[in-house]
Amino acid sequence: MEGRGIATVVLGTDEFRPLAAIQSRAHGLPDLPLVTVRHPIGGIAESLVADKAGPIVEPVAAALTAAPARAAGADAAGARMQRAPDDLDELQAWVMARGWGDGLPVIPPTPERVARMLAGTRRRPDEVAAVLAPRLGQATVERVAVNAVLAGALPEYLPVVLAALEALADPVFNLQAVQTTTHPCSPLIIVNGPVTARLGMNATGNALGQGTRANAAIGRAVRLALLNLGGARPGREDRATQGHPGKYSYCVAENEAESPWPSLSVERGFATLDSTVTVCGSEGPHNVNDHASSTAEGIVATVASTAANAGHNNIYLGGEPLIALGPEHAATVAAAGWSKDDFKRALWERARVPLSAFAPENIERFSGIHPEGFRDKPLDALAPIARDWRDIMVIVVGGAGKHSAVIPTFGMTRSVTRLIAG
Amino acid sequence: MMAFAMDVLDPAGNTAIDAKALALRPARLTGATIGILDNSKPNARVLLERVAEGLRERFGAREVRTWRKPTSSSGAAPSVLDEIAATCTVALTASAD
Repeated sequence: MEGRGIATVVLGTDEFRPLAAIQSRAHGLPDLPLVTVRHPIGGIAESLVADKAGPIVEPVAAALTAAPARAAGADAAGARMQRAPDDLDELQAWVMARGWGDGLPVIPPTPERVARMLAGTRRRPDEVAAVLAPRLGQATVERVAVNAVLAGALPEYLPVVLAALEALADPVFNLQAVQTTTHPCSPLIIVNGPVTARLGMNATGNALGQGTRANAAIGRAVRLALLNLGGARPGREDRATQGHPGKYSYCVAENEAESPWPSLSVERGFATLDSTVTVCGSEGPHNVNDHASSTAEGIVATVASTAANAGHNNIYLGGEPLIALGPEHAATVAAAGWSKDDFKRALWERARVPLSAFAPENIERFSGIHPEGFRDKPLDALAPIARDWRDIMVIVVGGAGKHSAVIPTFGMTRSVTRLIAG
Repeated sequence: MMAFAMDVLDPAGNTAIDAKALALRPARLTGATIGILDNSKPNARVLLERVAEGLRERFGAREVRTWRKPTSSSGAAPSVLDEIAATCTVALTASAD
């Protein structure tokens, strides 16, 4: 609106001031006035909201009529090279004080280490691979390499990290929202193709857990790039109410060798010899324990029951919930002659939540967001976990055992797949 | 005593931001039309309308008109912004929860 010549004031709550400020800067309006009230506004009685309005009428009027003071040199770029303590314990404190870390120890990004990291790609160091929200930080190949060194990555991981960041910057991913929402989501990085074996990625036992350098360091490098280049600092621009452990690192290879079906990347039109990365704005995994089912229908019933609940975003926002089937569950489903699409269709039909499971206030709210699903419906109407069966994503992950996982997403985000270039 | 004996590269770098100046402010709100762009977060509209009402009662604004974004995490349609620009003197909106 400012761009159209209309003086504008933004109202928000004190808790969200850093987020509103970085968004104003990202829109090229570092001086846009923001007037705040005490958090919260949502989920409280209207009369309490009205009480908060009175005291801010005067500051709002002032901000609409007087030119605001220039914001102080917001977010000036730091020097490319900095002098850091060479003692590792002191370095860790120094890195954290600058807001560059995730809490765990980092490898110092000395010019020598960054140069070795850059040898992992043929791309030029000054090439901008992505622009990362909310800060609109320029992810040049060199800056990404700096973050990859901090994360403990090997040079051969760098092309995967770069491809993941390119995918995250695709507008349909909605990185701005994923980085700043209160919802506990973090990019889940799914790697397909020959690169997974070459890098020694884990696709089998404990694949979503700890213990493999490539999974750990690729996921962590992406996270540190989202922190340092994207500018989503916990408690400031990153407004997660609780977050989830995958925000340290959330990277897995699909177990293509034990999947009875075409892989995620082949489903999306890539060749089996292509290496790709897919990013999803994902919650943490929720286990599906089914030790007894011997039929496809049995597995579907257990997965559906775990996936269908009133408290996740996909139920009202749509989007692409992910089902990570363990190979033994996948084999049981495929033994019935089912394709991956058959499984998705059956799950979509079965994984539904009756409107009676939702609080009346939520039905009212969701009616505004998704009227076809929630407005003027009887309480026995059923809400599916995705708008369309094709929106359900399925991969095969893990080793021996009778477990799978349901991984909902933030909802207002679409997964993006990119070819991993050299 | 900490020894700063190691060079490291900064992981944050530059931004792709091109800072623009704000729109000119009117001298007073007397007779102004206040445009509200509701971000559709719960209760945002209540706060925005109460503040706009206060601007009418205490600062002489004449009229309040309201538009709504379908969701908070997407931008408003250009046509909505055009309408606000064509019919309002100043505007209020909301950010986040």
